[in-house]
Amino acid sequence: MRAFAYHKPLRAINFICHAPQAKAVTLVGDFNQWDPASLPMKQMPDRSWLLTVELKHGHHRYAFLVDGVLTLDPHAQGVTRNDKGERVCLVPVS
Amino acid sequence: MRKNATMSAGDRAKRPPRLSRTPTPKVHPVVIYPFQQPDEYSNLQALYRLVRRLSTDKDRYARPITVLDRKTHYALQGQKAYRDFRRNTLTRCSDVLDVWAVDTCQMWYCGLGAAFERGREHDVYWLIPGDFNYGTKTGQHVLSRLHDLPEIILELDQDLCIGEIATDHNDSKQLIDTYGTFALLYNWFPVEAQEIRGYTERPRSEFLAIRHGFLEEALRHRWYPYEQTVVMLLEAVFDKRGISRFSVGNISDLPEGRESLASAMQQVERTERVLKAVWREHHQTNPDWIEQYRRLAATSNQIRHTALTILQNLLG
Repeated sequence: MRAFAYHKPLRAINFICHAPQAKAVTLVGDFNQWDPASLPMKQMPDRSWLLTVELKHGHHRYAFLVDGVLTLDPHAQGVTRNDKGERVCLVPVS
Repeated sequence: MRKNATMSAGDRAKRPPRLSRTPTPKVHPVVIYPFQQPDEYSNLQALYRLVRRLSTDKDRYARPITVLDRKTHYALQGQKAYRDFRRNTLTRCSDVLDVWAVDTCQMWYCGLGAAFERGREHDVYWLIPGDFNYGTKTGQHVLSRLHDLPEIILELDQDLCIGEIATDHNDSKQLIDTYGTFALLYNWFPVEAQEIRGYTERPRSEFLAIRHGFLEEALRHRWYPYEQTVVMLLEAVFDKRGISRFSVGNISDLPEGRESLASAMQQVERTERVLKAVWREHHQTNPDWIEQYRRLAATSNQIRHTALTILQNLLG
């Protein structure tokens, strides 16, 4: 008998960073191994930055890189530290 | 299908060592029954619907513990509603721990200690205060988020996760923390206070989850029976433990548990006492500690007087 592994579906999460004066904003987190280049955010007409990422169930650590500076999300649901000891944000995905 | 029914000694020697299976960590819910029992049970019924669900998920959760002060019990034992709730709800989905406690924090100590004795390495202990408005729509939302606290500990390998509730700036708890707790923390532990404030605005939160190893240290550490979240946060910062903060929503205390001015003053005084005790424990081996202590105590006295004046103006 074959066992079927149950995989919870990915869920689309919107990340929004309000940094109207920034030249470039990227999203970093556990989900992209804190790669500063792999998830660039797109500036919206209101000059905030948006990116939608599909994440699996659980709690994910993340932060914004605003012109290269690690920046916390003031609307984050939680705060913790990453493996480098930097203060970063938490997002729950259920 | 097994390939070999028998094995030679040589085969057995070549066989790789059997990996011991680490048991899946369990979460131990500890509910603190309200010291002052509300007249109606809708909030407790909502809370215990969650507790009942936890008690049936035996793979993930240890049997919940409800800590109940004997004074509360004796005050209510004449009421049929209480006796029915205790018999039909509390004891069915949790083990009731009857304790004589001087303060809610001592109830935590009893409950977390009892859960710890049932637990094992890597387990997580989840403290749930009973005196909140869980029966309201907002309370239901909070109940649906509380499980995040132990899950954050397990998923992100944290030691302490503080649940934070959003409150109005004029809320008595917020006022006590702004003018009392943090002001005193900045006096006695300025570096650690900044670190703590980087995580939370509610260093006395009653919503928390803690990992087995850190709880063991905390239980063995000499504690005062109050303001234990502040002590745990300080110890976590001293030891560079993994700390997280998670917002569990917007909720208000039940009216029965809201602070009067006298209660607010008592909380500020207790915070000062516990901070003094922790400071002495960490500095009493220094040769000139008594002089430094006297200087800090003098400033602390001024801070407490100022906090009490502000609280009197805002709550009195």
